[in-house]
Amino acid sequence: MKLDQVARGLLLKEFVTGFALAMRYFFKPKATINYPFEMGHRGPRFRGEHALRRYPNGEERCIACKLCEAVCPAQAITIEAGPRRNDGTRRTTRYDIDMVKCIYCGMCQEACPVDAIVEGPNFEFSVETREELLYDKAKLLANGDRWEREIARNIAVDAPYR
Amino acid sequence: MTLWEVLGTVLLVALKSVALLVALLVFIAYALLADRKIWAAVQLRRGPNVVGPWGLFQSFADLLKFVVKEPVIPAGANKSLFLLAPLIFATLALAAWAVIPLADGWPIADINVGIIYIFAISSLGVYGVIMGGWASNSKYAFLGALRSAAQMVSYEVSLGFVIVTVLMCAGSLNLSQIVRAQDTALGILGWYWLWLFPMFVVFFISALAETNRPPFDLPEAESELVAGYMVEYSSTPYLLFMLGEYVAIVTMCALGTILFLGGWLSPIPFAPFTWVPGLIWFALKASFLFFMIAMVKAMVPRYRYDQLMRLGWKVFLPLSLAMVFVVAFVLKLTGLAPVS
Amino acid sequence: MTKILVDGIEVDVPPDYTLLQACEVAGAEIPRFCFHERLSIAGNCRMCLVELKGAPKPVASCAWAVRDCRPGPNGEPPAVSTKSALTKKAREGVMEFLLINHPLDCPICDQGGHCDLQDQAMAYGVDSTRYGENKRAVEEKYIGPLVRTAMNRCIHCTRCVRFLAEVAGVPDLGAIGRGEDMEITSYLERAMESELQGNVADLCPVGALVHKPQSYNVRPWELNKTESVDVMDAVGSAIRIDTRGREVMQIEPRVNEAINEEWISDKTRHVVDGLRLQRLDRPYLRENGRLRPASWAEAFAAIAGKLKGTDPKRVGAIVGDLAGVEETFALKSLMASLKVQNLDCRQDGAAIDPAWGRAAYTFGPGIAGIEQADAILIVGTNPRTEASLLNARIRKRWRTSPIQIGVIGEDADLTYPHSYLGAGPETLAEVAAGSHSFAEALKAAERPLVIVGQAVLARADGAALLAAIAKLLQGLGTKAEGWNGLGVLHNAAGRVGALDLGFVPGEGGLTFAEMTKAGALDVLFNLGADEVEIGPGAFVVYQGTHGDKGAHRADVILPGAAYTEKSATYVNLEGRVQLANRAAFPPGDAREDWAILRALSDVLGQRLPFDSLTALRKALYTAHPHFAGIDQIAPADGAAALTALAGLPGEPGREPFRAGVADFYLTNPIARASRVLAECSGLARGRALEAAE
Repeated sequence: MKLDQVARGLLLKEFVTGFALAMRYFFKPKATINYPFEMGHRGPRFRGEHALRRYPNGEERCIACKLCEAVCPAQAITIEAGPRRNDGTRRTTRYDIDMVKCIYCGMCQEACPVDAIVEGPNFEFSVETREELLYDKAKLLANGDRWEREIARNIAVDAPYR
Repeated sequence: MTLWEVLGTVLLVALKSVALLVALLVFIAYALLADRKIWAAVQLRRGPNVVGPWGLFQSFADLLKFVVKEPVIPAGANKSLFLLAPLIFATLALAAWAVIPLADGWPIADINVGIIYIFAISSLGVYGVIMGGWASNSKYAFLGALRSAAQMVSYEVSLGFVIVTVLMCAGSLNLSQIVRAQDTALGILGWYWLWLFPMFVVFFISALAETNRPPFDLPEAESELVAGYMVEYSSTPYLLFMLGEYVAIVTMCALGTILFLGGWLSPIPFAPFTWVPGLIWFALKASFLFFMIAMVKAMVPRYRYDQLMRLGWKVFLPLSLAMVFVVAFVLKLTGLAPVS
Repeated sequence: MTKILVDGIEVDVPPDYTLLQACEVAGAEIPRFCFHERLSIAGNCRMCLVELKGAPKPVASCAWAVRDCRPGPNGEPPAVSTKSALTKKAREGVMEFLLINHPLDCPICDQGGHCDLQDQAMAYGVDSTRYGENKRAVEEKYIGPLVRTAMNRCIHCTRCVRFLAEVAGVPDLGAIGRGEDMEITSYLERAMESELQGNVADLCPVGALVHKPQSYNVRPWELNKTESVDVMDAVGSAIRIDTRGREVMQIEPRVNEAINEEWISDKTRHVVDGLRLQRLDRPYLRENGRLRPASWAEAFAAIAGKLKGTDPKRVGAIVGDLAGVEETFALKSLMASLKVQNLDCRQDGAAIDPAWGRAAYTFGPGIAGIEQADAILIVGTNPRTEASLLNARIRKRWRTSPIQIGVIGEDADLTYPHSYLGAGPETLAEVAAGSHSFAEALKAAERPLVIVGQAVLARADGAALLAAIAKLLQGLGTKAEGWNGLGVLHNAAGRVGALDLGFVPGEGGLTFAEMTKAGALDVLFNLGADEVEIGPGAFVVYQGTHGDKGAHRADVILPGAAYTEKSATYVNLEGRVQLANRAAFPPGDAREDWAILRALSDVLGQRLPFDSLTALRKALYTAHPHFAGIDQIAPADGAAALTALAGLPGEPGREPFRAGVADFYLTNPIARASRVLAECSGLARGRALEAAE
């Protein structure tokens, strides 16, 4: 061990330079955004909470083709289908997504032929019980109604690249 | 002494203790927040900022959370020891504050062996850790407790020698006397931090190790032991461990203030600075030490276990031992040794 | 045999093979829509085009026989190319034409996932269209409650038309218009009248005809498929039970050349909803005249309490139509340990005794054997309703070369021409005596077949009629070696198995009718017999699946498993032993039937010596070795049976024969629980009324 090394050690040279560096960073502008009060940028392809969309006339888009259920790698989607009571069209009688199983891969929206199931921009859907994360059709349709503007805009923005 | 006098003394001590505890806990609540904020700031983050303005109530929210959560006691745990361990740990950590002089003549118990008392009490804290680690009946907790015990014992040795040097200079075991010994016309330059600078450094680093702070937080190294001896704890028992740790840290800050930074003394020994109450100076100095401890957490990566042991036994122990001799030698030669 | 080169591989095939068959012999796969092995060749989809060396353009391989191919200039064999650029281009062209008018609605089409057009478009389709005009729009047609139409999707392969005309024998569908205006229609918007109509949806290569009751319910990829056998009639059709989760979603046919080829009847297919409705899912106990839910222990305790101290002569056991061999065996073993002689499985009181030999109660020539028969006499039965697929086989026989088919009994549309001989036993006697003109046809036949319905045997004079038929057959003699011309047509799936087990009255035992009389017994075990009234008096323990007639009369109900919910052995009317496999689980507290009887035996202190199905089968195979021959018919001595039958005493009565099945769609408790079959039954009744007016 050289003398100067010992001296540096005793005089805490590394500690002092490290401290100076840390203090410089201490006063730098923060890299993080002030999250709950300001949101970061989310791209049009952001894959957040699922939603079932409707047509502008209020008709639900989903036609119960079950492609999303088939493609889902986590097997998070459960669909039961049947003819709708009033007009006999093909509709889901049950559309459940287990948000606990879901891995947010976006395959369901890729598979959907009518842009019915989409992963919307919302990611703030934490809940207090596990059961609340088992989404049913009503919840998904409500999501669709709530986020329709953002979803429609995102799809429109992303359309040229598809 | 009549019965009334005894009762009065007891009541007075109790009231003083309660006042001290409340003040201390509030201080710790904000020390905790500061710890997190400082750490965040160095990492370009914001830290807690949601509960209250600038997150000022974060610690109280956490307290509430810990208290209302369900305490989970593992099936294989020794239930009584499991619950006793955090109690012992927190109680001992708080007990050390009985002898700390926050200002001139303020200690609750102005005993002549104050420094030995603190030393003894902080050594006892390891029992809480060992009990908690063992009673959890978990390998992580047990390994964490073993590490913690070894670490605390190792650094207490050098810490002891550091204190011996200070004692030699001050000529008393009474904490208030140690502070008074530093009261010279030189002000800040007359305190022991300058004259015993290597010992101050050794004390600071040993204090980090003694309180399981980074970079010596091996007992709870989350990448290896999940959370060390606390891994099975939740809710209030966990809160007690956590509280005990921070009380121990603040105790070390207070001790460092007393031993090296002139306790309640003003750094500039004339008016108007001497008009400022000693308590303020004490708090400022302790806060500075705490800030340094928090900065170290942000700056230095965690030591490996063998590095920790090497530092303790092969660097600090010889160094502090040598300093004891040097200081004694110098004191003897210069005739500065205090006579008592 | 003719040599032909397929993609350079030389194969030797009969000259009457089509190129498509020759290509398949050579291992080349030919896409096709209109071609079907069991239907006539139409050659109208053009998907099977192949390049034939020397031919000016690609030829439709399904309609081009090997013998029509010219040999090469130096006499080398004709060469077919199935993978050449020309073939591929031709097929891609055909696919493009087909897709001009085929809607792109795969996501809402029930055929999606098992659609020939979808699959072949993957191989031969192009990804964009060159056709700017609007697609053709065709009105939906109503062709019955079982098949839904989406005629936009039709590609005019005419498989449905050919199936109905050729196999089902009802000309209900046809094509009108030409070219783009061609439409498949029933013209009058009436329901199809075939009991095999469900098969047209299976045949449809696209989603134009799909099963209406399962509309939109399932996708093929989400189903678990279990191979099993059907119990709706005694034919024992091979079926595939498709389940999703715990629920049976659909029943599809499976190929079994010996029995059902690849068709199944509508009752077999659409009984699915009957499996979920009206189910008994927990034990019940009658208290103060009302049934209340009970636990298994309570139910067993009630039975044990009732049975204690009861004279075995006052105890009886009857077995219904849907019981598998295993539970019948378990019940018989239990009754044997209780020393009970009153056993019977002949719910209709048919005059059949296992002692006469197995040939006396099975369908002698077998179902496939019908194709060898050269004169058929049908006595007292309507095979179309009692065994639809057997009837389809008779029609197939008639189509290959018209034969004489005579009917004695109720006349009905059997889908093939037949001569109606008469209504009652007198006509039978005339034929037997040789005085009737049809007797000539029978005498001339090398392999005459007499099909006897259950209704004939169930008559009071059943034994005498059986003797008369046996005498008739004996009189015809045996011209063909090994031919057994006696075909007893059962209509209960469990009957032959129970008879094989000898589940008939023991010494001094009471028969079915005697047991069900009021006050005849103290305790009666009823294993799924739902077609009879049980008189008051007896304490009835009913073990079955549905809340039907048997359950209403019961004092204790033990919920059992339906045929899709248990692994059971069934013996069909030929005597073929077949295994039904478990596809789903019984609902609620219901259990497999043998297991219920095993548990009950424990409570009764007569523990049955088998703890598992394997152990039960081991005991069963030891006692009756022929059950071990799965999918086989144990050989039976036809001549000996005829001799035994001919010796039966009695004089035939005079009343005319009646058909065995009053309503094709509602023959058993499962079918009666089905809404779909109830709708079909209503339609059929309406048609019958219309015809009567």
